Amino acid sequence: MSARPRLSRPVQVLLRKELRQFARSRTAVLTGLLLPALIMVVAPMAQLSAAAGGSAMRGTATLPAGVPGLSGLTQLSDVFLYVTFPLFFVLAGLMTPSLAAAHTVISERERRSIELLVALPVSVTDILTAKTAANLLVAAVTLLPLFVVDAVVVLVRTHAGPLYVMAALVLLLSALAASIGISLLLALVARDFRTANNLNGVFVVPTMIMTALCVTLVPGLWRFLVLSLLMLALGGIAYLIAVRWLTFERYVT
Amino acid sequence: MATALAFQSVTKRFRNGRVALAGVSWSIAEGSRTCLLGPNGAGKSTSIRILEGALRPTAGSAELLGEPVDGPGYAAARMRTGIVPQGPGMYPDLTTREYLRFAADLYETRPDRAIATFGLREHLRTRLSELSGGFQRRVVLAGALVAEPEVLLLDEPTVGLDPKASHEVHEYLRQVMAGRTVLLCTHNLAEAEALCEDVIILREGRVVVQGRLSELRRGARPSLRLAVRQGPEALAARLNGFGPVRVNGHRVLVEVADPEREAPRVLRTLLDAGLEVYECMPVQATLEEVFLEAVG
Repeated sequence: MSARPRLSRPVQVLLRKELRQFARSRTAVLTGLLLPALIMVVAPMAQLSAAAGGSAMRGTATLPAGVPGLSGLTQLSDVFLYVTFPLFFVLAGLMTPSLAAAHTVISERERRSIELLVALPVSVTDILTAKTAANLLVAAVTLLPLFVVDAVVVLVRTHAGPLYVMAALVLLLSALAASIGISLLLALVARDFRTANNLNGVFVVPTMIMTALCVTLVPGLWRFLVLSLLMLALGGIAYLIAVRWLTFERYVT
Repeated sequence: MATALAFQSVTKRFRNGRVALAGVSWSIAEGSRTCLLGPNGAGKSTSIRILEGALRPTAGSAELLGEPVDGPGYAAARMRTGIVPQGPGMYPDLTTREYLRFAADLYETRPDRAIATFGLREHLRTRLSELSGGFQRRVVLAGALVAEPEVLLLDEPTVGLDPKASHEVHEYLRQVMAGRTVLLCTHNLAEAEALCEDVIILREGRVVVQGRLSELRRGARPSLRLAVRQGPEALAARLNGFGPVRVNGHRVLVEVADPEREAPRVLRTLLDAGLEVYECMPVQATLEEVFLEAVG
């Protein structure tokens, strides 16, 4: 019989508490759903409709020659599929867990209820594991159905095939994985919502610039692979900074 | 008697360079009720946080029920320990019932007995943040005692409460401390004196006093407490020849070997000098005096 990785009992109990509290917060639920829906569905669908419908944007695209990532993108829908969609996936993958993290991690620290938690028989590692798992679960439950909507529309209305959908899904999951490291770092550094939001900006803006450069310079579906690797590297670096230099102790001091 | 809690040369240095504990060693026997005293920044809360596993010692070792806090047996020892943190924040989105169930789930038990002990049945549906300060503290105590722990760590359990709520919490503490090993970290000397038999006094991260409260009182030099109509300065000047003098408000304490034998001679001297004495009382050292002497 093979051993299956399982969350420890304290983490399971903590996870249930986190999910219950998240479900009770209207603000967290609304921001956790509306922003991803806007980034993952509304904006991409509006672009595809514009490319296919009677808009002035319809038809062919004229892009600068000699840029590796842009050569060959002659249709406007291709520009959206290969240039703007990866930006949306990265943004949604990074932002959604960060919003949840701000709610579950920072609020606990800001209102000092973290003192109640560490007084119970749980370790700081258990607490942060449960919060990260809760944030990822919330993000996955929010983003994956939205991605299915995107995938269906892309497969039905554009010439992109299943390989494109798979590559986009890998990118979205990599961005989610990166958000684990970033959320953890955020939890250890930020003591209030304001700092958390500022730090989010510090991470998201350069990441989006890096993503824009990548989609411009890397051709075809390779850009999804390169971007996915970059996301995993970013998450790994943030995780290492959090664990090696800041240590979990910082969350409770 | 077996040791329940122990610090062996524990040093805690924070990342900003501040040293909260500097090679601290102490031990507490099973069943002992010990108060951890010291001025702000002495390292009291850091000691509790090391025992609760939230902080790791930079050097030395801390043990809870014989298990090092960074060892494999610590988690099991932690399940036998209840902790009341200092003035924690309250969840605005959890009710009393939900919080106590959550605490009981972590201790792998049921909360019913703790709910009954602390009279919380009528407040089970109230959100924690909507409870009064006294009831919030009762909920925290119930959470710490939900599994009938052998060890109880109390970090300023009455801080921020009004006198009535403090009195109620003291009554509950008296009930639940019986038969348990207790480490009470407090600023409140009256609370320490009322609830504990042993004391550890910390100053700037070091142990300056450890022992039985009764023995420390006996060891401290007794005094005569005096007051005169002319004021404490005039009195202190006249008392200098009798022993060390300390001004305390409008009274003056003078340390003498045998206050009852010395009192008539001191009084005669003061009256001859024209001072109008309206108070002269032999006093045993209180915990406050032991504390002030230790921390300077």
